Amino acid sequence: MAKSYIVSGNPHWHSPASTQKIMLDVIIALCPAVLVSFLFYGWSAILTMAVSVASCVLLEWAITKYLLRKSSTIGDLSAVVTGILLGMNLPSGISWWIIVIGALVAIGVAKMSFGGIGQNVFNPAITGRVFLLISFPAQMTTWPVPHGFIQSVDAFSGATLLGKVKELGAASVADLDYLHTFLVNIGGSAGEISALALLAGWIYLCCRGVVKPWITLSIFATVAIVAAIFHAADPAQFTGPLFNLLTGGVILGACFMATDYVTSPMADWGGVLYGFGIGFIVMMIRYFGSYPEGMSFAILLMNMTVPLINMAFHHKKYGR
Amino acid sequence: MNRKTFSIGGIHPADSKFAADRPIEVLPLPDKVYVSMSQCLGAPSKPIVAVGDKVLAGQVLAEPGGFIGAFVHSPVSGTVKAIGPGKDLAGNRITQIEIDVEGDEWAPGIDLSPELVTELPDDRQVILDKIKAAGVVGLGGATFPTHVKLNPAPPAKAEALLINGSECEPFLTSDYRLMLERPSEIVVGAALMQKALGGPVCYICIEDNKPKAIESMQKAIDSLPYKDILVQPLKKKYPQGGEKQLIDAVMHRQVKSGALPISEGAVVQNATTSFAVYEAVQKNKPLVSNIMTITGNCLPVESQHNCLFRIGVPLSFIAEWAGGVPEKAAKIISGGPMMGKAIANLDAATVKGSSSLLYLSEEVTRRRPEQQCIRCGRCSDACPMGLEPFLLNKLYLAGGREEELEKNAAQDCIECGCCLYSCPAGIPLLDNVRQAKVQVMGIIRARAAAAKAAAEAAKNKN
Repeated sequence: MAKSYIVSGNPHWHSPASTQKIMLDVIIALCPAVLVSFLFYGWSAILTMAVSVASCVLLEWAITKYLLRKSSTIGDLSAVVTGILLGMNLPSGISWWIIVIGALVAIGVAKMSFGGIGQNVFNPAITGRVFLLISFPAQMTTWPVPHGFIQSVDAFSGATLLGKVKELGAASVADLDYLHTFLVNIGGSAGEISALALLAGWIYLCCRGVVKPWITLSIFATVAIVAAIFHAADPAQFTGPLFNLLTGGVILGACFMATDYVTSPMADWGGVLYGFGIGFIVMMIRYFGSYPEGMSFAILLMNMTVPLINMAFHHKKYGR
Repeated sequence: MNRKTFSIGGIHPADSKFAADRPIEVLPLPDKVYVSMSQCLGAPSKPIVAVGDKVLAGQVLAEPGGFIGAFVHSPVSGTVKAIGPGKDLAGNRITQIEIDVEGDEWAPGIDLSPELVTELPDDRQVILDKIKAAGVVGLGGATFPTHVKLNPAPPAKAEALLINGSECEPFLTSDYRLMLERPSEIVVGAALMQKALGGPVCYICIEDNKPKAIESMQKAIDSLPYKDILVQPLKKKYPQGGEKQLIDAVMHRQVKSGALPISEGAVVQNATTSFAVYEAVQKNKPLVSNIMTITGNCLPVESQHNCLFRIGVPLSFIAEWAGGVPEKAAKIISGGPMMGKAIANLDAATVKGSSSLLYLSEEVTRRRPEQQCIRCGRCSDACPMGLEPFLLNKLYLAGGREEELEKNAAQDCIECGCCLYSCPAGIPLLDNVRQAKVQVMGIIRARAAAAKAAAEAAKNKN
């Protein structure tokens, strides 16, 4: 043979899937929710996310280049996803330097110090958010009045629905319009206005085969069942299933944070158990804890159990 | 009939059967052929001719080298020029017989007429003997001697004979063309094997991306007098044609780790093997030719071929006949893109199991730069054996973790390539799992040998 040819083991061709394409799909899936927050909070929401994305990407680039002295990994777009998710988990218009600190914790501490993509134990965006929530409780729970392009009639500044429940009891939200809350739920982080927009993105991810639905469905089911039991026992003290599904970060967390590949179990039944854990913990925090909302803590706590779950749950093997 | 498929894993690579509409052509004879002595899974065959001997096409050149072994026949008439070392397509050393081609004269008793012979021999032993004498081996890729598979040691008994016409590898179309052009011969071959096995039900398994083949085989079955031969349509999914997967799909049974298909009452034979069995038993014609697809993603359709070649013809001769190696080819593969072997030596000769010459261009065959595992689980979801390639890869790279590798069933890997195909991070999963499998198999064999030695020592004591 005059020309030389490649010789290597099978297979000789590959699927078009790549880390970058997967992350791009997640970014596409987040677009509806980002658009909704833009419509309601205006440019300040976009600015919050832009600062978050820029600091995450820059930090990862700087850490790989100057600390690890390795080739940059920002091309895989995972830092962009972390940036968007962190931005969505913050009140729109929060001070820029708080965002940068959040990005530093998310990328610097939670992701890169564990070895970068695929190595982290905790979801980076949630780690960043929880760090900020503990460090800057006032700024992190000051929800701005929406002054975007769509003016909502029930726009208010101050406590979220969950905060209201914590202070005034379950009866204070008894006459809530659930359909409206499903479409537009003002008050809270920038990205969690519309359950509809978040669910649309999640369904897109499922259809594209990026995530499997089991973890998310397991969280929804657990939250609904736990809330139904407590609500039936004492409706005056405990809020009901629909209220708990639609408020706080349950949908955002279940669709986009708990489904993070690295920090969730590999096997389907492991995912169901993991989802149950998150759903149960979030309800316990909401009913009995001191925080009005518990999604971030629930996910972080369950992140820690993933190695154990992975040891216990395996795929069904052929002929065994 | 209901379309079936296997229950664990699997992938859907692009079909790419560009040569599907190209009829089978007969390859002209070259001046020289090189007949390898390593043509089947098992011991190499032993030459029984000498340099200078005149041989006829279909005459025995070599005898089986062991229980699992096969006769090798001369594919051409001519003079034995040399018997000595050669190199196979991977560059491994083999023994080969070089023959100068002179005319095309066949050994007496071989029926070369195209008439279909439908009457089966009465005695199953006659069928088995003729298959053995004709050197028939499995043509689906593994080249396991067919007569051994058709004669399971009691008490094992065949409950179903699966004729594998799924041809699940992309690009390959040789089985497909044969099912379109010679369906009756395949059915008679199936009936012969069915008889040899004592009459189990026979399913001809074809994926639903080949409706014409399903129709063609059904017509042939309807026109012939045999009982219990059915076409079983399958949902397209790779690796459907894997023996274990096909048994799971059709019979809903799974072969235990380390066991043979017959332990679940299954015998799987390729459709082209069935054709070879027909020729061996009904026509006394030994296995000296096979069908090859010349295809690729960088080859115009008019340059793609399906050809009937004599075994021993150099690959380079076939490549030249088909118009030469395309300019853009970066990798030449014998077999499909999932499980084929990369050709290092195009001067190597074809063997019984050669089924394709596949040209892939740089952009399809190049491996992606390796990135870190993102634990997406695509490899586990794709694995048709239900293994966790990411975990096996990690354990292998850690070193010294053979016990865990065995516990996580590295030895069950069938090397189908689904894991590496699916990995978005370009991690060489199969390369490493294959090595892990070798390590674990070594340990399993050593343990078996030690147990056997201990048992014998105990026996001698008594």
